[in-house]
Amino acid sequence: MVEHGIRIAEMVVRFHLGPLQKFLNSGKNMIKKNEKTKKRQIYLDYAATTPADPRVVKVMLPYFTAKFGNPSSSLHSFGQEAREALEKSREMIALFLGAKSGEIIFTASVTESNNAALKGVVFANKNKGNHIIISSVEHRCVLNSAKWLQSQGFEVEKLPVDKYGLVGPEDVEKAIRKNTILVSVMHANNEVGTIEPIKEIGRICRKNNVYFHTDVAQSFGKIPINVNEMNIDLLTASSHKIYGPKGAALLFIREGTKIESLLHGGGQEFGLRSSTVNIPAVVGFAKAVEICQEEMEKEAQKLTKLRNRLIKGVLEKVPSSHLNGHPKKRLSNNANFWFEFIEGESIVVELDSYGIASSTGSACSSPKLEPDYVLLACGLKPSQAHGSLRLSLGRGTKEKDIDYVLEVLPKVIKKLRKISPFK
Amino acid sequence: MYTEKVLKHFKNPHNYGKIKNPDGIGKVGNIVCLLPYQNIHINNNLREINKISRENSVLSHKGRYNRVDKVTKRIYKGRILTIKNKLGKIRLTPDHLILGIKVPQGNKFLRTKNRKGLISAWYHAEQLKKGDIVLYPILKKEKDLDYIEINIPKLKWDFKSKEIPNKISLSPDLLKLFGYFLAEGNIQDKPTRTFISFTLNIKEREIVEDIKKISKNLFGLDVTVREKPRVKTVVVYLYSARLARFFKQLFGNGAQRKTIPDFIMNLPAGRQKSLIYGLWKGDGYVNLDRDGPRAGYCTISYLLAQQVKVLLLRQKIAPSIYTEKEKKIKGVNHKKAYRIHIGQRESLFKLCSILNIKYNPRSYISEKSWFDDNYLYVPVTEIKKEKYNGLVYNLEVRHSHSFTSESFCLHNCGDVMWLYIKVAKNKKGQEFIKDVKFETFGCVAAIATSSIITDLVKGETLKAALRTNKDKIVKSLGGLPPVKLHCSVLAVDALKEAVYNYLSKSKKKIPIELQEHHQRIKKEKKLIKNKYKDWISAEEKMHKNGKKINKKK
Repeated sequence: MVEHGIRIAEMVVRFHLGPLQKFLNSGKNMIKKNEKTKKRQIYLDYAATTPADPRVVKVMLPYFTAKFGNPSSSLHSFGQEAREALEKSREMIALFLGAKSGEIIFTASVTESNNAALKGVVFANKNKGNHIIISSVEHRCVLNSAKWLQSQGFEVEKLPVDKYGLVGPEDVEKAIRKNTILVSVMHANNEVGTIEPIKEIGRICRKNNVYFHTDVAQSFGKIPINVNEMNIDLLTASSHKIYGPKGAALLFIREGTKIESLLHGGGQEFGLRSSTVNIPAVVGFAKAVEICQEEMEKEAQKLTKLRNRLIKGVLEKVPSSHLNGHPKKRLSNNANFWFEFIEGESIVVELDSYGIASSTGSACSSPKLEPDYVLLACGLKPSQAHGSLRLSLGRGTKEKDIDYVLEVLPKVIKKLRKISPFK
Repeated sequence: MYTEKVLKHFKNPHNYGKIKNPDGIGKVGNIVCLLPYQNIHINNNLREINKISRENSVLSHKGRYNRVDKVTKRIYKGRILTIKNKLGKIRLTPDHLILGIKVPQGNKFLRTKNRKGLISAWYHAEQLKKGDIVLYPILKKEKDLDYIEINIPKLKWDFKSKEIPNKISLSPDLLKLFGYFLAEGNIQDKPTRTFISFTLNIKEREIVEDIKKISKNLFGLDVTVREKPRVKTVVVYLYSARLARFFKQLFGNGAQRKTIPDFIMNLPAGRQKSLIYGLWKGDGYVNLDRDGPRAGYCTISYLLAQQVKVLLLRQKIAPSIYTEKEKKIKGVNHKKAYRIHIGQRESLFKLCSILNIKYNPRSYISEKSWFDDNYLYVPVTEIKKEKYNGLVYNLEVRHSHSFTSESFCLHNCGDVMWLYIKVAKNKKGQEFIKDVKFETFGCVAAIATSSIITDLVKGETLKAALRTNKDKIVKSLGGLPPVKLHCSVLAVDALKEAVYNYLSKSKKKIPIELQEHHQRIKKEKKLIKNKYKDWISAEEKMHKNGKKINKKK
């Protein structure tokens, strides 16, 4: 009997611990492997997305588990708790923008916000006219929403930009007609980082009694924005570009703006965006804004310094290199270059092998094999956009990272040029 | 995105650089990576192209409709090719790119096993031979619709006609009726007498009953049936002015101009079956007792024939299309007609199941044409060369830069690759590539393909090296993303050019194939040069600046 029992125990051990042991061993191996291949990793694609700040994650966590209530069920304490968190977040962000808290609605992404802004305003003001003005360097979600509106019978006018990507306020004034409903110009460009004169454009729109929408996804939390001083009627911003979680964005709608909602349902967000609000993400978003408010000035100074150093270094160390976008009126974290004789996708992949994450507007890297439209709008030839490289800095960027890039990038360019027949 | 092997060759490219005093240089590609919107060159045989205007949409190789941005024309003098497959034929200049598969020699039987290794890519028209496969896209756009509104108002003084519903469900029955109408229907539209009529053979009692039943169910209308035994026809009248005008608006009138409206073309494939049923019952036939069992459909409307083709392709039924000239039979004039035949076993089987006909196939499974989710693969049946002098047309298509002509897909792209070779003789006295180096301007794929082709041909005899094709390159790299396949074609082009350069420099005999290849590349270069003068001058400037900088160093 005893013997039998031992055998069973043995079997149990073998059966259960065998795989467990294997698993544990494999874990060890994995760690070892990682240590072996561990290389320096430098993220310079903050314009694409940013990591969530640990402080943001910390305030979000309770809202997944303990404080899980639905803000719409306001009769019980769970719902009230969530409602309170939502309204507090709303107030926090409204304050940051100089808006009233009833003017902010939360959405899931900037794409959604921009769609809601453009389509909503245009359809609600059909009686006034059918003419919309946008800049030619807007984000794809604005361009394509406008394109769709065009197919619905609205007239869309795209404003040209100069070689830096700047929209001329006088062009906006000229383009406005009697039947113009909406002007949409972004605050800062995502590709070349150029900051548009939206204050002047806002003034012109207000004077002509036209709604003014601006997409501040790239500049939000980096440059001070006040919706009243800048005469903004509609504004969209995102959470995941300012170290907040993905899945949260906002749309500011000035009180009294005529707008239709895209989503119909339970009437959440003042009836403008029916959907149960993503409370953890919104709370995280608000925290991210709070952090930005505190650190914006300091961070901008730091990043401007680093960026200038990067730009100066690259232009000095790499022959036949050029800066895209405006030399001064640009985001503190954006540097965009084009290099002669080589192609951007090659640069990005090569940099990645050194642990540096970057981005390019080259046709070869896009699924449609088309060069980036922003660079083309700035007057670059397709063959020039071909060799473009965007490096965007962020909170985690350190001086030694820039030194590393300045050490690696000239090497990479030199190597690729060695392969290229043009040199 | 890229395989490990591609990245390896990109990171550490083999044999890059220049050879001093090379025996041959091959320079191919253009820096204008923007796809040089390929031209479709079609003469009056396919006049439809010059009727296409901006705002029209054309079917791209991805199976979606894309807007035409620009239509241009130019005069072309030279050789053109007529390429035929069972979907139709197309005339184009030899440098044109077509989405297809070059079937390896000796690989005659394309059973499933043999198909696996085949990779599709863009080929120049002149590279294709009889028996090679071309790809034809299946329409992907789908938009479900449950109801349609009859948007024809009842006229003020119309007290006589019966009420019909304003909104009707787009049911299988209605689609069947649409099918019958497209096949047999006619509309008389006069102020006092507006009605729909279906002219049928006296034997087609089944359809008469069906129309009767459907119109009663859907519109609450009774039909009037008049038999005319003398001409062996029976006419079914549907008296409703509103309905008649509605049908006229949807489908057009007159057998030659009938078309299927967009919302029906875009319905999910499953729902289109009822329409096909109606169409086939009306104008089609199925003959299973014949030696080679087949089904056929005949119409005198060109557009309708093309639309039926698209509908059938969505059902994964492979049609063949023939044109019948005008003729006189027993004193009766027959207009130019378009015949659609279905003879392939699986296709016929699918069609029979739509038509509720029992079919026990006895023939073999077809080898030469097949479907996947996106394309129909069909072999080229004939290639003819002829001289041409006249206008040729170009389309610039948004998003995909490709469009489908009647039977082929067209497209183009480029990077820059320079290949240097050094040639020597081996012990047997054969010429072989002693050394090879490349210089490439381009993306990861372009650099990796350049690197691998130098590996593949180094030490090989010239003859063996020339056998290197793009499939071999793609295979050695463990695959390339579909949008990058053209890079491998570029590498092969560069090698062939280098060998051509060597042979012509040393005044040796050049194989005809290589000569033709060279002519094509030369022509292409000229074409792009003319088209992108400004950009190329900017490029040359860049080139010069680069030299200056190099000298400074």
